[in-house]
Amino acid sequence: MSQSIEKEELLLSSIKDKFGDKVSELYVNPKRIKILVDRENILNVATFVRDLGFNQVISAGGTDFPKEDSFVVDYHLISVDHEDLKRIIFNLSTKFPKNEPKTPTLMEVWPSAEYHEQETFEMLGIIFEGHPRMERLLLPEDWNDIPPLRKEFKLPSRLVEHGSS
Amino acid sequence: MDTFEEFLKRVITIAFWLLLLGPVIVLPIILLVLPQFGVPVEVANRFLIALINPLEMLQFIDSLGIGPSSLFFKIAAFPGFTFAALFATLMILYERKLLAKMQNRVGPLYAGRFEGILQPIAELFKLIFKELLTPEKADKPFFWAVPFLAIAVGGAFLALIPLSPEIYIAKSEIGLVIIFAILSFTPLIVLTAGWASANKFSFIGGLRALHQLVSYEIPLILSTIGVVMLSGSLDLMKIVQAQASMWFILPQFIGACVFFVTMIAELERIPFDLPEADSELVAGWYTEYSGMHFGALQLANYIKLYGFSALFTILFLGGWNGPATLPPVAWLFIKMFVVISFILVLRGTNTRIRIDQLIKLGWVYLVPLAFANLFIALAVASLGIA
Amino acid sequence: MEVVDQEGRTLTFSIGPQHPGSGHFRLIVKVDGDFIVDVKPDPGYVHRGAEKMCEERTYIQNIPHLERPVIFDSSGILFPYVLAVEELLGVQAPPRAQYIRIIMAELNRIISHLYWLAIYGIFLGHSTMFMWPMGDRELFIDLAEAIGGTRVTFSYFVPGGVRNDLPPEFKERALKTCAYFEKRLKEYDRIFFSNPMFLKRTQDIGVLKREDAIRLGVTGPNLRASGISSDTRKDEPYSSYQTIKWDIPVRKEGDCYARAMVRFQELFDSMSIIRQALDLIPEGSVKIAMRGQIKGKVGESFARTEAARGTMFYHIISDGATHPYRVKISVPSFRSLCAMPFLLKGNHLADMPAIYWGLDYWPVEADK
Repeated sequence: MSQSIEKEELLLSSIKDKFGDKVSELYVNPKRIKILVDRENILNVATFVRDLGFNQVISAGGTDFPKEDSFVVDYHLISVDHEDLKRIIFNLSTKFPKNEPKTPTLMEVWPSAEYHEQETFEMLGIIFEGHPRMERLLLPEDWNDIPPLRKEFKLPSRLVEHGSS
Repeated sequence: MDTFEEFLKRVITIAFWLLLLGPVIVLPIILLVLPQFGVPVEVANRFLIALINPLEMLQFIDSLGIGPSSLFFKIAAFPGFTFAALFATLMILYERKLLAKMQNRVGPLYAGRFEGILQPIAELFKLIFKELLTPEKADKPFFWAVPFLAIAVGGAFLALIPLSPEIYIAKSEIGLVIIFAILSFTPLIVLTAGWASANKFSFIGGLRALHQLVSYEIPLILSTIGVVMLSGSLDLMKIVQAQASMWFILPQFIGACVFFVTMIAELERIPFDLPEADSELVAGWYTEYSGMHFGALQLANYIKLYGFSALFTILFLGGWNGPATLPPVAWLFIKMFVVISFILVLRGTNTRIRIDQLIKLGWVYLVPLAFANLFIALAVASLGIA
Repeated sequence: MEVVDQEGRTLTFSIGPQHPGSGHFRLIVKVDGDFIVDVKPDPGYVHRGAEKMCEERTYIQNIPHLERPVIFDSSGILFPYVLAVEELLGVQAPPRAQYIRIIMAELNRIISHLYWLAIYGIFLGHSTMFMWPMGDRELFIDLAEAIGGTRVTFSYFVPGGVRNDLPPEFKERALKTCAYFEKRLKEYDRIFFSNPMFLKRTQDIGVLKREDAIRLGVTGPNLRASGISSDTRKDEPYSSYQTIKWDIPVRKEGDCYARAMVRFQELFDSMSIIRQALDLIPEGSVKIAMRGQIKGKVGESFARTEAARGTMFYHIISDGATHPYRVKISVPSFRSLCAMPFLLKGNHLADMPAIYWGLDYWPVEADK
């Protein structure tokens, strides 16, 4: 089933026109766009994408890639009131090395990113500069181990498997 | 003991054997031993005769001063405390069954042969056997005094309400004023309970109850002044006599409505049950009361319900007036039954009101309505209708 | 913990998690008299680490696992997962399975909304409003049990279709239940939604205007109550929803009453969708046969669906193994955490249950 990706390509070309090679396109599919931005430029690109019409953050999370020694933070954006943008999910991602886990917060651009960023801090240890509350949200208060979604953290129940079963 | 019925069977069996063997063995001993201690033989004799002859029993009890027309009987049995307590337990059962039928379920079903009729008695036994917990930091004399005070107020309230021209406990020419004076003790009791419990939820509940009860006393009293004007007396007997031709609910419809609403607020029932809002305050001012303390507070609550509905019937629905096919007491109870059913149905169909809406309702709407009702009563009285 | 500030003016205390009015969730509230000055939500009481556990289990083993956060709307939280996995595998469920998925999802939506209505009754103090929805909900749970085998958490959706076919005589049973329930909903309207006391407790309380709703990240019925016509089933139709016709209920006021009425209207819409799906359902197989362990291709996929509470979103990254590399779940309740302090500030403390539960925040889902 081939769907037209005219609108998606239009959006992508307007972003490329404005930002040139600061933005690298990862893919454009029907209903899906993904771009990769450096963390220095992410605030400007985010503001531009918001003005295009994507006004809600539906999810913001991070992934740990130990093989490439980097973190990737993904923001997924949707538009709830622009009729022609409603079907698209826009993925804005940024990649940075693991030994400097910092990136600017996008809370001023999208207030709905507030709790997602706090959860990402807690689970991966990535600091979002400018966020008012980089503190515990879901984990218990007496958690004293490394952030759990990092790949070095092994679930204690799985560690036992080597000996038994 | 498996069921409540088996327990009752055992109790009755024991009573039966006692009654059989008692006169045969114990009483002759009494007849022979008591005169040694100075009890006159005639009294013992009359007692023994009375055990066999019921009519003699009545005279014997009368001579002791606790017969059916004595004050003791009236206070303790009918229409006093025992009757009120039984009526209250029946009302609890009726409320639960009515609510259950409205809500698509069955309510109490298993205690007793017929639709759970012994459920309140079963609960009474349960409450008697529970531990009476007192919080550590509570103010013990006041904490223990509250259930007694609550029942005392309820009982005093009941004592002034006549059930028919012949059946009454106390009579007074200013009966209505005394009733309101007794009722105004209730906020004090609630506040004492909330403070003495040493629990912040109880305290908040006590304060809320205080606001509610005090705000709603004024429309309560004002709405009855119209009735007093139309009947020309504060005595409850004369108020009922004055309704022989027409019930006061017709010229005093607004007053009756105001009285009904404030009555529900004084009883702390839904929709006015903020003091015990259990999704916010656990149970309000009686959170810390357990076992028989809790039983006593619930009993006092339902005795007040009985008293208030009787008062509403006497003031507005013609009391015990009715065709002579049934005794007056029966008419009073039929009308009370209708009023109580109304109050119980309101519980099943409404949500709880918020505190600022409650205070606004009391002061901004009900008080002016009660005053308007006063002027209507003046007009009606001067036109000589009733 | 209770703290009175320096001037003795405000009191900070916590509502929950052991509180009849809060669910398993804590709100740290700062009040000045009866007015709420500041609110800090504190989720995490039932956090289980679902995202981490998904990385240690195969794609099929994750299914019963991911259902648990919302046990009574389990199809809602599982639907985007199976759609994302199917996208990774490059398959699509057969048409009969797609329609059965619609039926199951709508049944779960009705079950979830009735549960919400019952607990709303408890919070507002209306005991009949608790008893009736819970009783009628049993009929729909029986229907779901006929399809899925259990009363809650059916583990019914699998990548490639559904686990088993509909039982015989299902259509007649479903139509009979829907006819009975539509009659009952008229009584609900009379006793709950037109009740003056209910209107007093919910109208003009917790007003969320259109711009604020978009800005704060609210989705689902809460968004539709603020005047925005947005529903994932129509914006990005999945699983044959494009063949079904219905109108999205939208209301403009944005207060608690509007949110309640939107959910009430959705009950009617769900039954209409079930009827249409039962008419349109084609014959055929219900599952694509898959051999051995599922291994996704290297890459990522994301999918979103409309659960009972809002838009549910999954992001799965795979490196070709039998376990997913990363599963990111975004639940609608977590997103309404942003709107909660905004709505509660400045209101009476007694309005807290009405606003908090009116947003349909489910703490277990938000904690994952």
